[in-house]
Amino acid sequence: MTIGKDVIRLGNSTPSTTLLQAKGYNGNISIPDDLAIRIEDLSITYKINVDTKKTLKNAVMRASKGEKVRMRTVEAVKKVSLDIPHGSVVGIVGANGAGKSTLMRSIAGIMPPTTGRIIVNGKISTLLALGVGFNPALSGRDNIILGGLAAGLSRDEIESKTDEIAAFADLPDGFIDMPVRTYSSGMYGRVAFAVSVSMTPDILLLDEALSAGDAAFKEKSFLRMRELVEEARTIVIVSHALATISDLCDTAIWMHKGKLLAHGEPGAIVEEYLKFLDVGTLPSNLEDM
Amino acid sequence: MSAAGSDQKGASVKRPSTPLIQVFEPHKAQTPPLIPYIKEFWERRAFALELARFADKAEYLESKLGKAWLVLNPLFLSLVYFLLVTVLRGGANKNTGLSTLAHILIGIFMFYFAQNIISDGAQSITAGGRLILNQAFPRALLPFSSSVRAFGQFWPTIPTYFAVVLIGKAFYPKTVIPLADWNYLWAPLIIAALAITAFGLSLIFAVMNVYFRDTSKLLTYTTRIWLYGSPVLWKPEMLHGWHRLFLYINPLGPTLAATYHVWIDGVRPSNAEFIGMGVWVLMAMAIGTYFFTSRERDFAVRI
Repeated sequence: MTIGKDVIRLGNSTPSTTLLQAKGYNGNISIPDDLAIRIEDLSITYKINVDTKKTLKNAVMRASKGEKVRMRTVEAVKKVSLDIPHGSVVGIVGANGAGKSTLMRSIAGIMPPTTGRIIVNGKISTLLALGVGFNPALSGRDNIILGGLAAGLSRDEIESKTDEIAAFADLPDGFIDMPVRTYSSGMYGRVAFAVSVSMTPDILLLDEALSAGDAAFKEKSFLRMRELVEEARTIVIVSHALATISDLCDTAIWMHKGKLLAHGEPGAIVEEYLKFLDVGTLPSNLEDM
Repeated sequence: MSAAGSDQKGASVKRPSTPLIQVFEPHKAQTPPLIPYIKEFWERRAFALELARFADKAEYLESKLGKAWLVLNPLFLSLVYFLLVTVLRGGANKNTGLSTLAHILIGIFMFYFAQNIISDGAQSITAGGRLILNQAFPRALLPFSSSVRAFGQFWPTIPTYFAVVLIGKAFYPKTVIPLADWNYLWAPLIIAALAITAFGLSLIFAVMNVYFRDTSKLLTYTTRIWLYGSPVLWKPEMLHGWHRLFLYINPLGPTLAATYHVWIDGVRPSNAEFIGMGVWVLMAMAIGTYFFTSRERDFAVRI
């Protein structure tokens, strides 16, 4: 396990000297061609309104009384720097509120950085929640198209994969043309998972997505993940299922309160993390992080 | 772990065949870079179009007749307003009754089109919370999708208008309402101006609805007052002197006045109406786009 505050390069690969150029706000930016993701000094901060009722009526009432809006600043990610080479399978562990999901969303381009920069080389697919873009009134077939379009595929691309997705989701005969609201939660999860893994992204971001379906489908999902790993695509997985991290990943990072606490071999990171969960305090060598 | 070009499992590392580099940086002046934003918006337009189509399909899946209400509702409302207006005037005139009905009809159809764009667009971000939280795409696609859907609901009202006028003319042949006139060539421009202005306004209300969840409720009442303040139940010529200013401070005023002139008077819209339409299109789009894109970052944490 390695502890460090500097730029962390995951894996044991030798850094490439071939640089790819891209345009940033302040001129050209370069990234070694062997990197899938480069995160430079990333911080994400946002303000949230702590009032329960966010209405215009309340705002006017508050203003008439001269009261200010109560805001709280959340520092979700703090100065994280990380290099992820192509073909890595990276697991992220950490307690709730560690900043794992925010980090994933920023890599996906959903949340722009407050400071720092993220450079991504490749097509990203996200599976941060199941059934994104799905409409329960529509059929499974329609939802596969909608889900695929939401994920950035063209209509032709997703239509050509519909049968393959339906087959992967193991839907009973005829269910693909039935409204999704008639599906069991397991069937719903299977279709949603099948849509995401049917794509062939360069980088796949998964957040607690391997829990869809029954034990048999979990096994199937796991095998599909293995296939993607074998295809040597870059995968970043957030999961509380630590066995998944140990089994699938070749590197893991531990995040705590927005900071990247440690990185290294998944077994060692998971072990340290489990100790922390048991004891509730950070190891002495990590306390000053 | 992998060395560049191959990994420990023996498989060759899949790198993008053509480098696809995306850079995510803090937004300058809180807004994302506009040109890449517009480019991505255009590339993902199929998503917005299909989202609109599927939303419509989902709503009317089990009620084919339900879709007819999209035309029947403003049609009946127009008849109610027609009765009110003629009662207030002390009765209908044989020569002007049909043109009053036609004016109210096309005015209500056009106003409802704008109202649907604004109110559905206002709710599009809060309603699309899961998409906002889990997929990266230009968020303006959601209100745009609502506008596309509103257009899909609007266009069948045009043949309905002509059907009503044709039937009316059979009973009142002396009424002068243009049915085939060159000035109808202005109609697509007027409809486009109305749609763009309403879309710009929907961007503003969509952001407001993220911060204040009762904005969409407030819009229900605001649009009703807005309707009474627009040249739908009254003719633009009823305003004289400085009162005509009311026509131009209303974002939909010049468009609805131009609608009256083309559809009822059969004349070209005035230059002032063209300028008014142009100014509101530019202002609504400029303010709407800036306000929306500058707040886009907040959506994922405020939904």
